[in-house]
Amino acid sequence: MGALATQMQHMGMVSALAQRTEKRSLDSAAGGDDYKALVLIYWAGGNDGNNMVIPNHSNGSVSNYADYSSVRSSQGLALSQASLLPISVPRMSGLTYGLHPALGPVSGGINNGIHELWAQQKFAMVANCGTLVRPMTKAEYLNNTKPKPYQLYSHSDQVSQSQTAISDTQAYTGWGGRLSDRMTPGSNPSGLIPMITSIAGSQLFTSGQTTLPMAINDANTALANVLNPSGFSTSAASVARRNAFNQLRTVDLQSEYVAAASGITELAMQANNALQTTQEVTVTFPNTGIGRQLKQIARLIKNRSALNVSRQVFYCQIGGFDTHNSQLGQHTNLLSQYSQAVRAFYDEMVVLGVSNSVTTFTLSDFNRTFTPAGTGGSVGTDHGWGNHMFVIGGAVNGGNFYGMNTSNGTPFPTLVVGTNGPDDTNNGSGARGRWVPTTSVEQYTATLARWFGLPEDQMTNVFPNLENFPTSDLGFI
Amino acid sequence: MVLSAVRQMRPYIAALIFTVVFSLTGFSQADPDPNSPTPVLLSRADSTRAMTDEGSVILSRESSRRPGESFQPGSKVTLYAAGLEFADDEGGNSVRIYAEDRNGRLFRFPVLSVGPARKLRNVHAITVWLRDDIGYWNAPAEGDVLLRLTWRGMSSNRVRLGYGKTGGEINDDTGAYPTPPESLPTRPAKQERTSEALYGYRWSGDRIRFLEQATFGSTPALDHRLRRIGLRTYLAEQFSAPYPSQDNPYPDIELKSTDSSNVTIGCGMYASGTPERDACNRHHYSMYPVQNWFMKEALYGDTQLRHKVAWALSQIWVISGSGGATQQSSWMIAYHKLLSQHAFGNYRDLMRDITLNPGMGNYLDMARSRRQSPNENYAREILQLFTIGLFMLNQDGTLVLDGNGDPVPTYDQEDVESFTKVFTGWSFCNQTCPHSAPGIVNYKDPMILTQGNHDVTAKTLLDYPNAVNRNIEPNLNGNVELEQALDNIFHHPNVAPFVSKLLIQHLVTSDPTPAYVGRVSAVFNNNGFGVRGDLKAVVKAILLDPEARGDVKTDPFYGKLREPVQFVTNILKAFNVGSADLSQQSDGVLTNLTNPLGQNPFNSPTVFNYYSPDYVIPGTAMLGPEFGLMTTGTAVARANAVNTMVFSRLSVSNPTRPLGTSIDLAELEALAAADPTGNRLLDELDHRLLHKTMSPQMRALILPAFTAVSASNPRARAQAALYLVASSSQFQVQR
Repeated sequence: MGALATQMQHMGMVSALAQRTEKRSLDSAAGGDDYKALVLIYWAGGNDGNNMVIPNHSNGSVSNYADYSSVRSSQGLALSQASLLPISVPRMSGLTYGLHPALGPVSGGINNGIHELWAQQKFAMVANCGTLVRPMTKAEYLNNTKPKPYQLYSHSDQVSQSQTAISDTQAYTGWGGRLSDRMTPGSNPSGLIPMITSIAGSQLFTSGQTTLPMAINDANTALANVLNPSGFSTSAASVARRNAFNQLRTVDLQSEYVAAASGITELAMQANNALQTTQEVTVTFPNTGIGRQLKQIARLIKNRSALNVSRQVFYCQIGGFDTHNSQLGQHTNLLSQYSQAVRAFYDEMVVLGVSNSVTTFTLSDFNRTFTPAGTGGSVGTDHGWGNHMFVIGGAVNGGNFYGMNTSNGTPFPTLVVGTNGPDDTNNGSGARGRWVPTTSVEQYTATLARWFGLPEDQMTNVFPNLENFPTSDLGFI
Repeated sequence: MVLSAVRQMRPYIAALIFTVVFSLTGFSQADPDPNSPTPVLLSRADSTRAMTDEGSVILSRESSRRPGESFQPGSKVTLYAAGLEFADDEGGNSVRIYAEDRNGRLFRFPVLSVGPARKLRNVHAITVWLRDDIGYWNAPAEGDVLLRLTWRGMSSNRVRLGYGKTGGEINDDTGAYPTPPESLPTRPAKQERTSEALYGYRWSGDRIRFLEQATFGSTPALDHRLRRIGLRTYLAEQFSAPYPSQDNPYPDIELKSTDSSNVTIGCGMYASGTPERDACNRHHYSMYPVQNWFMKEALYGDTQLRHKVAWALSQIWVISGSGGATQQSSWMIAYHKLLSQHAFGNYRDLMRDITLNPGMGNYLDMARSRRQSPNENYAREILQLFTIGLFMLNQDGTLVLDGNGDPVPTYDQEDVESFTKVFTGWSFCNQTCPHSAPGIVNYKDPMILTQGNHDVTAKTLLDYPNAVNRNIEPNLNGNVELEQALDNIFHHPNVAPFVSKLLIQHLVTSDPTPAYVGRVSAVFNNNGFGVRGDLKAVVKAILLDPEARGDVKTDPFYGKLREPVQFVTNILKAFNVGSADLSQQSDGVLTNLTNPLGQNPFNSPTVFNYYSPDYVIPGTAMLGPEFGLMTTGTAVARANAVNTMVFSRLSVSNPTRPLGTSIDLAELEALAAADPTGNRLLDELDHRLLHKTMSPQMRALILPAFTAVSASNPRARAQAALYLVASSSQFQVQR
């Protein structure tokens, strides 16, 4: 037997699945009071946080709208102040900030978007969050006196670091996967599907050392069909073929690649059995990629009892944020898709009675440069660093900014580029307004993992660099 | 008597004629036996415990030390192996030592040195360091581990070694037996090529494997031809064959307005929603005609190797129609022409022509980057993805490590900014070039420079030993500067190992040994005539390497998952693919098969391709790029694609699928009819799809399953058998 095959036998996941027909009890907490789910909505490509949350005030003690406008308007990238959706921020002494207008009601929309969840205190923002090895100031960045995340500003590497929550070395497992490794035995001992599910293909976030993710298509495919092999019937010949099809996965495992392919297929076939009878959701979801992904997630959550899971982690994504050009229209479109879909999802969770148990949150490759690239209709932005993240759900202490303070005494960065910009990475001609993050990805995500139920003594197993940072509880949930 | 002597001589006469004819035509090249020996890890006389010495007997030059029972983690141990018939330039980095602990976890111990064992003929001493160099798991569990040696895609037996201590629950492989030195057979004299070999390339397993690597799949006709002419002659033909096929030229599609609703030069002359409008949009504003042309060439073209290498290059130098980024089919065709033109050309020429290609200029924004508002996108990706990668590499593709054991970045943000400046000022040639036309953005001719938009400040580029053009003088013409900067990249030492490894991964195996990468890399650096970057020489080196060749590969880490395009075309081509009614050729409209598997040709989701060359298969420590497209969902989709191809077809569906696609089951059906036991049918499937690697266990599962179908229905038998082979993991992995 190949090593992977042996490995598969060691995975609690698979052995639990094998026993599912014996034990399909509903007496456990699965689907009941103890249910929790984390839903990562990944903004792929590097979302321009600088045009997503904007100072909407003229107070001079922190960066204000004029500071924003002075850098972004001449090349045509600034949003008008009148268009911003106001949010009040206690952490900023009650000053008003503005959300991108696409995050509220939009033309052709099917709901009011997420803006109004701010006032309902279901929606919080973690400011200036990014990949870090340890806390770092601008001076330390420039002097190279502290280790930096490897390959800053590179998509693939920053995606990896966001999804692994490890920035000092390349890692093979994602923090979602590691969380699932630690939590599966205690929380989903008899789960009929893996703890972690991606609706957007294979993603590093979902890879654990000992647990494999389920990855399925979006809601365009019914759950009963997402993993169902076609072409079989009940005739004797077909049954013989199906049996052989299944048994072929148990031989020739000396080849590790064959074993890997068979392992993934086997997981699919076992999950398929559990997905045959499922109930449909009630809220209308937008017919967009992210809408369909979140709808599929909602279906799985609705069927959590039958699937015998009390903890679930989901990955979905919306791509196209790499707006090097023609950003304005594109960004509006993407944020509106995000907002409409997340609102529908939130509403469905309310209908299901689990809005306090399900939290959506975001990650992205990086922020984008505060100074634009190009001008006019084709204006865009390049790759930046520290960015703003959204957390939405009934358990969230919403309506506020969170995160470590920047040098201005608030978590929101100073929107000044170059020598006079305390949060910009560079001085002089190379300065583009790339904010040195003050809150690390692991501080942000460890806060979520703690809420999810990861025991304190296992925190550093999932987030190995967590102790480099002063706190692992940002308080937003 | 005389007659029978002549009859006996006949093979030799034929061989003589054959040899003479091929010598005269000038490209006859003998194909040597492709098979490498199977290595044997030596054990003690009475058990499977490894024959060992503590430390390094090679380095210390000491006589054999007392063998230990167990070895401390982190210590050095010498193992012994027979059967390693090294070529002159082959050494320690061609051998890998894998360890499996009792938890079924996999580790790899670095090989520190390999040399002839003292006092033992034909045995090599291999010193390894007992520390994992994959880094997926923390460390092996202490206790016995099973060690495996791999070399050129061949695996040894496994022997037992006490890691930290002996014992623990790990069982020997079934059938394992002691392999002490005295058990080794005396090495047979090197076999002379028999006359039989001169008839053709008789290694059938290797032949099909070669076709999987070099083409979009074996066909019975191609297999037959290769048997006759051999691999080297085939390669020589392929390097000079015209491309694309005469009856499948590149679609000649004119540039349209970027506004598809334009009534004169868009598709707006047709009313919205009409079939004419849809056809116009499909033809001009989607990848549809490119995909169909591409697939027809893959299924039927004669110049398979160029098509295959261009496809590999298109997954390295990625532009994409996804999200409308590359809006028009005509843009992609202009781009693909460069890839195919340079597939057997020089990498440096490819670098320049792609850099100035307007499709790339648009996709990675160089066409919009001016000194007044520079854009870093292309500068970053040409370094990261297309030429040198993120970290300094040794010539065998392994990472250079600094004093702390960390990888060394190849460039930093300042380098990106410098190259960004180099690439400023270029844009579309909308006025003075052959394809310039009013209202049209010229996506066919190379981009041109507007010197006024070019950043003429001095620049400092990549630094490396004997760096070419590290410093760019101020006030240069942008054309001159571009060539200087591309030379600066091209001569970086990373280019050879970086590009060589990527091409090996696309054609042959996901995790090539450093030795293999090193051999190809050396050819990239110098094709033998002092030329750097000769892709023809590189491709030849990749395909003729001993790690690529051989009838059977037993290394558990050898091979690659067939990417969806390859998976589909391999099956279709093996069974005489035609249109839905088999009256003519397929229309090449195969996206219904490939897309659900995660690969929509020419519509990669991002510049990072459909999958990453660094993808590690979840739950394992194995590099497996194509596994990035293998999830629970797509695993089932693969089986379902096989179901469509085998039990059904892609039926005609106008207007987008005018002819449809079907395999021809006639030959398999005939075999099923001729032999009710099913064995001949299964033999044929084994040959065509698995190059004779079907294990007895696999055979034992499939045979009764398809013979459960009534013998009176040979077609249904053929279908059931083909479904089971083609949907199996055993077939999905090309090895």
